[in-house]
Amino acid sequence: MAKSGTIKPDDFSEEISAQRLKSSLWYAIITVLILSCFLVPLQDGNLSFMFSLMMWVTLATGINFIAGFTGYMPFGYVAFYGIGTYVTAILVKVLGVSEYLAVPAAGLSGILLALLFAPTLRLNGIFFAIVSLSLAVVCQRLMSLMPEEITGGSHGLNLGVATDRTHGYYAMLIIMFVALVSASWLGQSRLGKALKAIRDDPDAADAMGIHVSRVRLYAWIMSAFFAALAGGAQAWFTGALDPITAFDVLITAKTVIYAMAGGLGTIIGPVVGTVTLVWIDEIVWQQFPVLNNFLLGLIITLLILFMPRGVVGSLMQRFPHLRKYIM
Amino acid sequence: MNTILLLNGLVGGVIFGAIYALIGCSLNVLCGVLRVVNFAHGEFIIAGSFLSYVLLTLFGLHPILSLPIVTIAFFLIGFGLYYLLIPRLAKSDEPETSSFLLMFGVSLMMIAAMMWIFEADIRAVEFSFDPINVSLLVIQDAYGEGRDGRVIVPTARLVALGINALLIIVLTYFLYRTLTGKAIRAAIMNREAIQIVGINIHSLSASAFGLAAALAGITGVVLAFVVPSIDPNGGQDISLIGFIIIVLGGLGHPVGALIAGVLFGLVEQIATVFLPQAAAQMLGFIILITVIFFRPQGLMGRMTLR
Amino acid sequence: MIPKIVLELKGLNKSFGGLLAVKNVDMLVNESSISGLIGINGAGKTTLMNCISGIYRADSGSLDVMGVSCLNWSPHDIARLGVGRTFQIPRIFKRINLIDNVMVPALNDNTDNKTLYERATECLDKVKLYDLRHNNAEELSGGQQKLLELARIMMFNPKIILLDEPFAGVNPTLCRLMIERIKEMREEGKSFLLVSHDLTSIYQLSDHIYVLNQGQVISEGNVDYVKNDPEVIEAYLGNA
Repeated sequence: MAKSGTIKPDDFSEEISAQRLKSSLWYAIITVLILSCFLVPLQDGNLSFMFSLMMWVTLATGINFIAGFTGYMPFGYVAFYGIGTYVTAILVKVLGVSEYLAVPAAGLSGILLALLFAPTLRLNGIFFAIVSLSLAVVCQRLMSLMPEEITGGSHGLNLGVATDRTHGYYAMLIIMFVALVSASWLGQSRLGKALKAIRDDPDAADAMGIHVSRVRLYAWIMSAFFAALAGGAQAWFTGALDPITAFDVLITAKTVIYAMAGGLGTIIGPVVGTVTLVWIDEIVWQQFPVLNNFLLGLIITLLILFMPRGVVGSLMQRFPHLRKYIM
Repeated sequence: MNTILLLNGLVGGVIFGAIYALIGCSLNVLCGVLRVVNFAHGEFIIAGSFLSYVLLTLFGLHPILSLPIVTIAFFLIGFGLYYLLIPRLAKSDEPETSSFLLMFGVSLMMIAAMMWIFEADIRAVEFSFDPINVSLLVIQDAYGEGRDGRVIVPTARLVALGINALLIIVLTYFLYRTLTGKAIRAAIMNREAIQIVGINIHSLSASAFGLAAALAGITGVVLAFVVPSIDPNGGQDISLIGFIIIVLGGLGHPVGALIAGVLFGLVEQIATVFLPQAAAQMLGFIILITVIFFRPQGLMGRMTLR
Repeated sequence: MIPKIVLELKGLNKSFGGLLAVKNVDMLVNESSISGLIGINGAGKTTLMNCISGIYRADSGSLDVMGVSCLNWSPHDIARLGVGRTFQIPRIFKRINLIDNVMVPALNDNTDNKTLYERATECLDKVKLYDLRHNNAEELSGGQQKLLELARIMMFNPKIILLDEPFAGVNPTLCRLMIERIKEMREEGKSFLLVSHDLTSIYQLSDHIYVLNQGQVISEGNVDYVKNDPEVIEAYLGNA
């Protein structure tokens, strides 16, 4: 085909440079984040808070794959997290497996559960949400119903002194790192573009040759994988779990809010949203514990009404030239 | 012996079924007319229970007498909430998921507010009817010679059933015989068409929201008769049951919700006779998931959301 | 030389409940040609398009694309045979930018990123949307979105393209651009089935016209024949 006058000859290399700029900024941000998390134990900092931060960043980044990129809002996201905690705890406490193996195994269990729940992706918007939520409730009830020797029934399990806290902390750091790198990759890959096409118009994507059910399954598995790993690391770090907290709907809620506040569908969004809101949450919780859930509810209400695309998303809408810098 | 348990389960099924039917009906009005998936519905119901509790403890007002007050108060709240929340929602990328999240936020706020006012303790609504229990059936020698088996129902529950039945009749009459009710049903069937014939969809929707809220409030009062303890955190479970009912009965189909509610109540209560509590609860969700996959339009529904 | 048949319908029927929307339709589209499809609103044009692209499953008759019988195939599979389609209300991917929009059909191809990018920018350039390539599709006007759909189809590179009201709501300059591109693509060997109420464009473009009324083909032929066919004048054109 003849080249037209309007296309610049070095267009593609310009495009590459622009991508490089975007990813450099992004890598800078996550390097700062990872370094600061890395240094905390060495400086006797607040391990619990930083662990929590890393966990929420992982969860928010994870949910972004299926929600922000593919357009499915999994209201039962906590099911994968919960399975991760339980598989890790059972392997360590009941079967005596080392945590270093148990946590990756938890990730695997997340993938298996995702495959089991994959048929729900055929459902449209609101049915998907309700079924997702119901499945999480079913998982929770199942865990409390199972024999006490295995799952600890409704009291849960206590790993006691078997686990090393600091190692659990670093496990979470590694998991967060992998999640962020995966997100970087997805944001620039063809898979990422295909997912967004599915989000915007699945039938048109289908007619254009995208294998919709296969492609969105990849995003679904990725999301589940990181949630399960996060759960596993949590079990390692805190050494205790019970069915109520492991499958708490508030975990899904907070993940969604943190990711949305930043901006679903962007890569930076979930990180920015999580770090900001987790800090605010910590400050508010110290001073006004009762106000906490109210504020959470208020934030999500205001977000949906006024900034459904989150801070980053709305900024990119208002100021399109920022898109050059934001991944 | 098992017969007694079974009969008790049956009676409980009808009583709870009527409540579920009401929950399903009010939720249906919201989902159908407004395409709003009201995740805060359970909290509205709990708030209704709390309101009658407050009226009882502060003013000694008998819960039955609090019904009109609750109805009016909740209608106004619902009406106002509509204008506050819903019009903006229509402009979003995904109105249904957004409405789910929005109402989830509202539910969090309501739980927090109720926890703050009433603290996390479960409150008991203290009043009783005279006699406390009614014996429905006596099976002689059921537990051996001379020891009869009785199917006993607390009077409060019978009263609740009576109120529920009355409400269901009134509601059905309203939806099928009055002009506003028919307009609401028409809006469920075709939102665009109803505007073309000149009906102001906003004021109709606001009224529908108000109606649904009022129904939720009433359900809360009646619920206190049946389960006389109010748990601020119990809303989510109620909302989920509500979703099960409307999916079973058919989204947007009020009568379908009524039938599904009663059926579900029966299945649940009879299941608790044979299964542990947690398993019986799971049964409901398993039914929901099965129905969504194999018959998404429910028992009687003709429409599926979107 | 016998022209190659790209699309052939024989006795196609489609009803909805009691309503027979498409009645015994025969149609033949050759390689490197443009066929127009006209008729009043409700005549069954879009239903027929939907049957061809697989969104509706026809009740009976035969549907052959490139010689392959595909009557009850899914839209996905029919698209894979080489059928591209645009819609009355453009179905573009709103929240991604124009380049990515155009790249979607070729994401599965075995080409490197550079080639993919260059092909995409060329398609955008042909519809004069190159300068807006970093904008999100939702920021375009309705007419521009139709052009974007066309660019995306170019990237998809099908053998036959179904255009459903491509000119509706598009300003004359952009219309001319679209007409030029369509003609170019015809020279390259592509075929078109074009539904439109814009008779000027239909007359400019079509090698062959089908006139649909109440689900049936009441007339077909070249432009002059159809224009002067008394049945067509009565049903659709009026006495101009």
